[in-house]
Amino acid sequence: MEFQIPDFAPAYPEIFLLCMAGAVLLLDLFLGKRFRNLAYGLSIASLLATIAMIIGSSQQATTFNGMFLRDLMGDILKIAVMLFTIMVFIYSRIYQQDRHIFKGEYFVLALTAVLGMMVMISAGNMLLLYLGLELLSLSLYSLIAMRRDSLHATEAAMKYFILGALASGILLYGMSMIYVTTGTLDLAQIHAAIRTGDSANLVLSLGLVFVVVAIGFKLGAVPFHMWVPDVYQGSPTSVTLFLGSAPKLAAFAMLMRLLVGGLENMSGQWQQMLIILALFSIGFGNIVAIAQTNMKRMLAYSAISHVGFFLLGVLSATPDGYAASMFYILVYGFMTLGSFGMILLLSNKDSESDMIANFKGMFSAHPLYALVMTLLMVSMAGIPPLIGFNAKLAVINALVESRLYWVAVVAVLFSVVGAFYYLRIVKFMYFDQPGEAIRLNGGMEMHTLLTINALALILGLPWIGWLIRICNSALAQLS
Amino acid sequence: MTFEHIVFYAISLILLVSGLLVVTVKNPVKAALFLILCFVSGAALWLLLEAEFLALTLILVYVGAVMVLFLFVVMMLDINIAEMREGFVRYLPVGGVVAVLMMLEMAMILASSKTGLVERSHPVSHGADYSNTAEIGSVLYTDYVYPFEIASVLLVVAIVAAIALTMRKRPQTKKQTPSRQIATRAGDRLRMVDLKSEKKQP
Amino acid sequence: MIFIAVAVAIGVGAFIAGWYLGQPSRPDADKNSPYECGFEAFEDARMKFDVRYYLVAILFILFDLEIAFLFPWGVVLEKIGRFGFLAMVVFLTILVVGFVYEWAKGALDWE
Repeated sequence: MEFQIPDFAPAYPEIFLLCMAGAVLLLDLFLGKRFRNLAYGLSIASLLATIAMIIGSSQQATTFNGMFLRDLMGDILKIAVMLFTIMVFIYSRIYQQDRHIFKGEYFVLALTAVLGMMVMISAGNMLLLYLGLELLSLSLYSLIAMRRDSLHATEAAMKYFILGALASGILLYGMSMIYVTTGTLDLAQIHAAIRTGDSANLVLSLGLVFVVVAIGFKLGAVPFHMWVPDVYQGSPTSVTLFLGSAPKLAAFAMLMRLLVGGLENMSGQWQQMLIILALFSIGFGNIVAIAQTNMKRMLAYSAISHVGFFLLGVLSATPDGYAASMFYILVYGFMTLGSFGMILLLSNKDSESDMIANFKGMFSAHPLYALVMTLLMVSMAGIPPLIGFNAKLAVINALVESRLYWVAVVAVLFSVVGAFYYLRIVKFMYFDQPGEAIRLNGGMEMHTLLTINALALILGLPWIGWLIRICNSALAQLS
Repeated sequence: MTFEHIVFYAISLILLVSGLLVVTVKNPVKAALFLILCFVSGAALWLLLEAEFLALTLILVYVGAVMVLFLFVVMMLDINIAEMREGFVRYLPVGGVVAVLMMLEMAMILASSKTGLVERSHPVSHGADYSNTAEIGSVLYTDYVYPFEIASVLLVVAIVAAIALTMRKRPQTKKQTPSRQIATRAGDRLRMVDLKSEKKQP
Repeated sequence: MIFIAVAVAIGVGAFIAGWYLGQPSRPDADKNSPYECGFEAFEDARMKFDVRYYLVAILFILFDLEIAFLFPWGVVLEKIGRFGFLAMVVFLTILVVGFVYEWAKGALDWE
């Protein structure tokens, strides 16, 4: 076969981001401490520029022998990942400065994590899925461990690293079994091989089980959720913020590329596995979250339940369901950013302020931020008229259309249970007396962005239909 | 049973036994050494498959570099062996049952059906002038250039992470800077001070 | 076959010779004690290592891997043409960024 030089144009945004990550690394090194804000500004600027490049060159293309896919779904997810990362940078600036982790390496590792996510999102080959995942995970492990003097952070990094490595191993094992049966790593070719061949092949099913387990680990779905609360709580809040938002989008892309792009004709099999993962996650996450006193831990269990909810959309195995899932995960990432942003807002040099009790009496001290938090919590709980409700509704709709009525009923019931612990925080803020004076931290830009973040959950309502339509057309392209 | 079969089973046996010993042996240093034996037998298996380049890389990278690191870590941690053994007996029954069950399940699956959807011909053996290294090289830098570059990004991330996590500035250490030592001139070392000679008070 | 026989013979031969010749004819306490340069011979051999060894070792692994990528490249350089050459140039450029960082950061200094 004659080799043809691949078309680099679809991958320009990735190449640009990589160059900028290198530039940030070197500039920060040589310019030193006084220019620390330069790394901050440059990182945000390069992310913005990459977003512009993606929007400017939006297309459907395949290059590098089918290893790199450019499509609408990928573009939207990449843009969202980068927007979330920018928000993370802005929210966490003061927090990082207070804890002496406002370093050039932080930005470089975050940028490489973004690059890893982009590789995953546009992967057309199992090899690239794995490499992107490793690039993302390696950056995340070190971001968590960056706060070296904190025992909790080191413990969290260790737990995340060991379980993450185990999950990567399981993923590779599953991929190797798929490779054995289909003879290729390319997802499109796998799809073709399964369509013409026997999808009930036992080795193939075993490979599928391993792959689903690995994705379950990475997403933190029950029963592979053990690391989530500890890692969320132990990491510096600025990293938890990152960890809880953007990588979920990459995991969604991975799910789509693998299960829909590659193994679509086995949907009957993975549907059942995902039902178990999803329902256990929703149930377990929502019930255990009630007992938490630490805000970060509570949000971790809430993340588990949200992951379950978003899996529900995927398991309906229809393009509408996938679109609902995508919409759900975008909204969820947005709400998570706000919630952890609130914890960052309350934290200061001496304390993390990550207990639920820290929110007591918020209303009398800072009515605006009490409102912000209320919007975030109510949206998380999925109470109309906030966007969180629309996201849940879309997923439930997809389930009903796929005639999975009982799954839908169970999911709704547990969501009602879940509403309790979100509303408990609202009650703390409005009806309880403050334990101690609440001091707000963070700069002007953070305050503005956080308020916009929360208000968007209600003011964005008119554009909901448009967003869902975009998700729909993105997923229609996929299958 | 050809000669290749005999070699394969002998090496596999060594691999399995040393793998088992890695987990069960008491002394962590010995476990690391058995792991080296594992890698070497794995490399031998690859040689049987005519994957010479991978076999040599396995020895170079894993035995040469990774195991050195392993031994450093084992030394660095100064593990209390007795404490580590405590859990082993307690969890052995449960772990053993799970392991045996998993092994049986996988054996059932692998034995029950044909393994491939796609029919593939039996791998042909190549002559002595066949180079596995060249085969890898001819696709790695062309067809697989994208994952290849990603691999280098991964290495850079590892460099940054390792330095960010373990480097500590020690301000109190006194170190030499040879360039400054060489550039020094007599004038830097010795300062001539004019002292006015004291006059005796009359 | 001859190769294997020679390899086995050397391996086994070294063991036997060492066992046969290596026994001190008149053992005493000093002859039996291990001798090692630098380390205290009377302590536990597993003393704690500084974390800096670890950093050096990990940097060594990374560049060792890089060299591993260079081998097949060198073998097929003529076949893969200019594109293959440039692919390696890009690969190395990315790594050089890491190397400059590591150098300028002082990770290679022992202090």
